Amino acid sequence: MNVSNAIRQRRVFVRAVRVAARRMVAEPSALVVAGVFYLMVTAILAGLWRAAADASGGSVVGYSAVALVWYVATSEAATIALPPRMIEDIGNDIGSGAIAVEMLRPAPVLGLRVATEVGQMLPRMLLCISVGLVFATLTVGAPPSGSALALAAPSLVLALILNIVTQHMFAAAAFWVLDAKATWFLYQKLVFVTGGMLLPLEVLPEPLETVTKLLPFSAMAYVPARLASGHFEPELIAVQVLWLVVLGGAAHLAFRAGERHLIGTGA
Amino acid sequence: MSWSARWVTWRNAWRQAWAHRVSSWAQVAMMFVNDTIWVLFWVLVFERVDSIRGWDVDDVVVLMAIITTSAGLVIGFANNIRHISHLAATGGLDATLALPVSPLSFLLSSRIEAIAMGDVLFGVTLFASLGSPTPTRVAVFAFSVLCAVSIISGFLIVVGSLGFWTSRTEAGDLGFQAIVLFSIYPVDIFGGVTKFLLYAVIPAGFITAIPARLVSEFDVSAALAVFAVAVFAGTAGWATFTLGLRRYTSGATWTQA
Repeated sequence: MNVSNAIRQRRVFVRAVRVAARRMVAEPSALVVAGVFYLMVTAILAGLWRAAADASGGSVVGYSAVALVWYVATSEAATIALPPRMIEDIGNDIGSGAIAVEMLRPAPVLGLRVATEVGQMLPRMLLCISVGLVFATLTVGAPPSGSALALAAPSLVLALILNIVTQHMFAAAAFWVLDAKATWFLYQKLVFVTGGMLLPLEVLPEPLETVTKLLPFSAMAYVPARLASGHFEPELIAVQVLWLVVLGGAAHLAFRAGERHLIGTGA
Repeated sequence: MSWSARWVTWRNAWRQAWAHRVSSWAQVAMMFVNDTIWVLFWVLVFERVDSIRGWDVDDVVVLMAIITTSAGLVIGFANNIRHISHLAATGGLDATLALPVSPLSFLLSSRIEAIAMGDVLFGVTLFASLGSPTPTRVAVFAFSVLCAVSIISGFLIVVGSLGFWTSRTEAGDLGFQAIVLFSIYPVDIFGGVTKFLLYAVIPAGFITAIPARLVSEFDVSAALAVFAVAVFAGTAGWATFTLGLRRYTSGATWTQA
C-alpha cells in the first residue's frame, strides 16, 4: 500500500468514527439507558465491595474501600461502554452474508467495522466516565492517586479498543461456522471474571491470579481499574499496547482468511 | 382464556422453542455455565471475607437458587413478558387482540425461551446439591420460588405496560435489568434510601433477600409479608396492563401473534 492510499484510508476511518459517534449522540434515550444501567451496576458492586472491606478490617487484598469503589467505577465503564452482544451481531452479519456488501467498499471491512464501533463507544464511554466520577466522588471522595487516575484515562480507551478488536477476532469464526451466538456469552464471562470486571484479580487464589494477569482479558478491565484505584503502574499500559498489536494482527489475519473463504465458497 | 386454550398455546410455543434441539440444549448448557460463574464469584468473595452484613456463602447459595429458578421460570415460560413495552409502544398487539382470549394470558403463554430452562435447571440443582435440602427447607424454597415468580411477573408487566402511556421501550428493558441485577445481591449490603427502594420500588428484597432468610430460619410474619407482596404484584401487573390496553394504538402489524 502506498502512502497516499494509507492517508486516504486513515481519513475514511476517522470519518467513520465521527459519523458513528454522531449517530450515537442522536439517540439520547439509548445513552440514558446505558448511563442508568452503568449507575445501577456500579452502585451494587461498590456497595458490595465497601461492605466486604468493612467486614475485613477496612481493606480486601490490599484495596481500601475507597480504592475498591474507584476500581469498580472504572472496570464497569470498561465493559458497559460496549454493546454486550457485539460478537453475536458481527457473527449474524457474517453468517447472513450481509458482510459481502461491505466487502465491495474500497476500504478494509475490519478497519471500517472497528472504526464504527469505536465511534459508537466514545459517547457511551464519556457518559460512563462522567457518571462514575460523580458517583465515586460523592460516595468515597477523591481518588487515591490523581496521577494514577490520569493514567487510567488513556488506559480505558485502549482497553475498549482492545475489547472491540478481540470481539471481531472471535466473531471471525462465523466465516466458517456461520454462527457466533454462543460465543458472546462465554466471552462476556471471561471478561467478567478473568478480566477483573467483577473483582480485582488479586482476589483470585494462586495460581489463578498469575494466569489471569497473563491473559489479554485483564488488559480490558483490570488494567484501567487497577490504575484508577491508585496504583501508579505505567508498565500496564505497555502490556495493553502489546496485546492490541498481537490481537489486532490476529483479527486482521482472521478477517482476511474469512473474506477469502467467503469469496471462494460464496457462503 | 380457558385452560385448554392456554394449554394448546403453551404446547405450541414449547414445540417452537425446541424445534432446534441441539441448539436449544447448547443454550441451556451455556446458561448453566453462566450461572455457575456467578456462584463462583460469590465463593471467591467469601474466600476473602467470612460474612458480609450477616450473609455467608450458604445464604448466598440459597439466594442464587431462588433467583435463577424463579427468573428462569418467568423468562422461560412467559418470555413475552420482556417484550410487553415493545409490543405496547409499537402497536404490536393487533393480532393478539383479535383472538377470543384474554390478551395478557395469551401473551404470557405464547412464547417460550429455551435458554432460560438452563436457569431453572441450575437453580434446582444448586439447591438440591448445596442448599442442605430437608423437607421443610424444600417446602419453603418452593413457596419462595412461587412468590418470586409472581413478584417478578407483576413487576415486569407493570414496567412493560408503561409503554402504553410513554410509547417508549426503555422502561421495560431497564426494569428487567434492574430486578435481575438487584436480586442477585443481598439487599443488606445497601443502606438508607437504596435499601428502602429495593423493598418499595424494585421489590428485590421480597424476591430473594427475605425468602433466602426464610429458608434458613422460617418466620410466619415474614412469609405472610412475602405472600402479600406476591399477591399485590400480580394484581398490580394485571390491572396496569388492563388499564394500559385502553390507551393502545394499533400498529397494524398482523404478524406477531
